[in-house]
Amino acid sequence: MKKCEQIESLLPDYLQGTLEQDQIQLVESHMEGCAECRGEAILWKQLASLPEEQPSPALRSRFTAMLESYQEGRWEKSGIATERMKLSWFGSMGDWFRMPAMAGVAWALVFLLCGFLIGKSVGKSTDSPDTAQAQIAAMRGELKSTRQSMVLAMLQLQSASERLQGVSYSAQAEQLDPQVLGALLHTVRYDASVDVRLAALDALSKYGTRPEVRKGLLESMQDQKSPMVQIALIDLLVDLHDRTAVQQLQKFQQDPGVNPAVKQRAEWGIRKLT
Amino acid sequence: MANALPDEELMSQVRNGIGEMLGVLFDRYQVPLFNFYCKLTGDRTLSEDLVQDVFFRILKYRHTYAVGTPFRAWMYQIARNARVDHFRRSRPETALEPEMSPVVHHPDFAQQDQEANLLHRALMHLSEEKREVLILARFQELKYSEIATLLGCEVNSVKVKVHRAVQELKETFQRLERGDSLQQHSEGAGWPRPGSLQ
Repeated sequence: MKKCEQIESLLPDYLQGTLEQDQIQLVESHMEGCAECRGEAILWKQLASLPEEQPSPALRSRFTAMLESYQEGRWEKSGIATERMKLSWFGSMGDWFRMPAMAGVAWALVFLLCGFLIGKSVGKSTDSPDTAQAQIAAMRGELKSTRQSMVLAMLQLQSASERLQGVSYSAQAEQLDPQVLGALLHTVRYDASVDVRLAALDALSKYGTRPEVRKGLLESMQDQKSPMVQIALIDLLVDLHDRTAVQQLQKFQQDPGVNPAVKQRAEWGIRKLT
Repeated sequence: MANALPDEELMSQVRNGIGEMLGVLFDRYQVPLFNFYCKLTGDRTLSEDLVQDVFFRILKYRHTYAVGTPFRAWMYQIARNARVDHFRRSRPETALEPEMSPVVHHPDFAQQDQEANLLHRALMHLSEEKREVLILARFQELKYSEIATLLGCEVNSVKVKVHRAVQELKETFQRLERGDSLQQHSEGAGWPRPGSLQ
């Protein structure tokens, strides 16, 4: 008879029924003489007596409400496209970047600049350590600001997937400057795509302790039409324990035009915050 | 028929903006996910909230689904995160005590219920880590390789975890059958603590 230690490595696969026939025989002949291992296999079978629980029908209706609100939100684009034209942070350059091909060019420029900056610091490696460090610091600074301008440019591109890329690019930065934060807040409020708005909201979540970000989030809640984004905003403000959000949540609760799933989430939010 | 399509095809359509397809995935997975959470937390209301949250997140993060990769593994990853976030969000003083949210009993099946009841109690006495791996392997019918991906460890280490969980569950169950008190044996109360999975 094999020892328990030898059987142990086979037992989990035996339990899930994935062993070959000869290995099954090996395990079973061991079990005939070993109450310990036999007990484990019996217990595994006994676990089938735990009943399968059924969720209440309310779960299906909540899901349906959520899905409907998503569908509504997806096609809702009213007035947003014109709002986007008013963007000020990138001025007329924005129009250049609206052309999808320009995204590639912009990326190429960033890489070129990186190469140039790296080359500059490597080329002077014979300098004293102090100057080298200063140069590296300067290079980091330049890279950082390049990254930030990149984000600003990409947030204005025509295609939603490229704007999405811009948002995720901003999420990689260690610290964003106020200008980029402002751009992200603007995106949360006015971007035509629900996806991009949600992603921007995610990117902003780690800056939630900044008063200007909170204020911007709260403001964007007022004219947010997509239920998906409304819910995500509620979740974020609850996460931040922002009590000033309660007033807006009460408005959602009372507004007959607000989606039922959002009302439900607003109620939940009020309970959490008060 | 959408009902015959594999999960991955449905999810890839959801990713492309055809939200209706999520309804089919919901019908397939609402009960398994609900049971995953029920067995893990023992709380039906919370479990329903978490299932709802999983599908909300699937929509919200649909663009992060890599087309062609197994949907179930991705979904369970989201399900685990949803739960971790829930316990991170709810402050300790607002967490429910286990007595306040008992799992439903089925009074019609007295005999079988007795065994199921003891098994359930034994399950709740496992550490959360062991309970989760056991639920995934036994009830959610995930392969060990899938669980390994989910937990970010080696397949062999999953097998060891499952084996240890079964061993401990058996011992606890036998003690309960004998009517022993579990207090002095239990490895910390069975109720999941906020953040204990992080």
